[in-house]
Amino acid sequence: MNASRNGPALRVTDLVKRYGEFVAVDGISLEVARGDFFAFLGPNGAGKTTTINAIVGLATITAGAIEIFGYDNVRAWREARRRVGLAPQEYNFDRYLSIRDVLIYQAGYYGLRGAAVRKRADDLLERFALTSKANDTFMRLSGGMKRRLSLARALIHEPELLILDEPTAGVDVELRIELWELLRELNVGGTTIILTTHYLEEAESLCKNVAIVEGGRLVAMEPTAKLLARRGSTTLTVTLERPLTHLTEALAARGAAYDAATRALRFSGIGPAEIAPTLALIVAQGYSIQNVDFTRSSLQDVFLDLVGRAH
Amino acid sequence: MAIDMWGFRNPVGLLTLVKRELVRTLKVINQVIWPPIITTILYVLVFGLGLGSQVRAIQGVPYAAFLIPGLIMLQVIDQTYGESSSSLFQGRFMSSIQELLVSPLSAVEIVTGFLLAAIVRAVVIALLILAVGFVMVHTLPQNWPLYFFMTVLVATLFGSIGLIFGLLAEKFDHIAVFTTFVITPLVFVGGVFTSAQFLPPLVRAVSLFNPMFYMIDAFRYAFTGRTDVPLGLSIGIVSALTLASLAVALRMMGTGYKLRV
Repeated sequence: MNASRNGPALRVTDLVKRYGEFVAVDGISLEVARGDFFAFLGPNGAGKTTTINAIVGLATITAGAIEIFGYDNVRAWREARRRVGLAPQEYNFDRYLSIRDVLIYQAGYYGLRGAAVRKRADDLLERFALTSKANDTFMRLSGGMKRRLSLARALIHEPELLILDEPTAGVDVELRIELWELLRELNVGGTTIILTTHYLEEAESLCKNVAIVEGGRLVAMEPTAKLLARRGSTTLTVTLERPLTHLTEALAARGAAYDAATRALRFSGIGPAEIAPTLALIVAQGYSIQNVDFTRSSLQDVFLDLVGRAH
Repeated sequence: MAIDMWGFRNPVGLLTLVKRELVRTLKVINQVIWPPIITTILYVLVFGLGLGSQVRAIQGVPYAAFLIPGLIMLQVIDQTYGESSSSLFQGRFMSSIQELLVSPLSAVEIVTGFLLAAIVRAVVIALLILAVGFVMVHTLPQNWPLYFFMTVLVATLFGSIGLIFGLLAEKFDHIAVFTTFVITPLVFVGGVFTSAQFLPPLVRAVSLFNPMFYMIDAFRYAFTGRTDVPLGLSIGIVSALTLASLAVALRMMGTGYKLRV
């Protein structure tokens, strides 16, 4: 792989895409660092796939600019495209080729050929457990196999930036976890990954950074952990052995609310580091603890909150 | 958004596309290669050797031998248009064209890839029909360079038109419209079965506006050494049409018409 120019893996600046009067993407700007595992989230019709299509060259852009590893995807489109691998949402394999040839021909379109490409195709087939189907066409593959083939094809030319549009849509839990492991390995190996998904636990589990779009606009972009900390909420629920006689000042100062029916003390917005001191305070006040429960809002809660606000 | 549509810097990608198109042809060989051969044999048997035995020589050759160049052109035109248009349309329909669109292949490389494959198919079909003609009526071109030149020129023309209709079409039916209402009628009245000199004056005058007439007339010159109109005029008209069609196909591919939405 050629040495890349300076610059992040992806920089999208004021991207606009219009279809007649309809504005599909309305001034999105985002930056994905090299080596990042980046979630690009949004409800259906938010502009995710349009943005991805603009990045990979499947859609023309109305205004704005896209740079991939410092290469403008219009002026230096060959250099930009060589660095990107796309696993699209819909299957778009060549029905006339065996799946081994799907990989080899795709490499050919990227200007690669020879024994090294054939070996890489075989290695990918093995890595994605497709070797036994190497000579079949994609129509004979199961849904999970098609997803794996899509990923293998996106990787055949050793892209530095891998874009996955709903990579685990329609696959069972076991395969999803398997794919997560593969993606983590790739990311640890240095591949920058951008992921769109409707499974928000997937984004929460895998991605270091997250962007959320709604109505063609960016509504959030920051590290996943920071977004959860900033936007999310936490609750510590402590069930007491006996009813609380009165809410002391010390407990009230920690934001406690008492529910007499369940004998539960609830502390909202509490951080993990404050759990032990809070429990110690309760015990110090002469109460025994029957049960402790700590909950934190998920990326899904934050997503719904942000998308709801955008409306 | 204009991109570098003229770049010619990915020869491996281009040749991969040619190979892919030829693999596709082999997978549908019963639609592409054998029908023109069977049809030609039937035409030669029924019209050439059957009815043709009652017809005096045309342009100095027996009618069956006169028929062969026209039949080659008929099949080259038909198959080249059909394959280019259906391959591209199917790629759009199945979205597999996206494999090309995301790769570092320029518009001119993609168009060239489709057209080189169309030319190879045309040359193979023409040679197979020629072999049939040689076996059945013992005719061969006298002017091989012209034979190949016209085959390549006409394949480029109808390959380009096929790409244009492959992009315009919204369903397979639209591709057939051009075959049914344009190609077939114009080829049949364009001199496949008879020389213009035998047509009534009015029909003959009208046929001068039929581009197929010039293709067939120039191609037949490679066999008989005779033409109805000057060879240079025919080559000029067909070349101009080819350049115009190629320009339109390149323009559509370059702007991503119905491809890069």
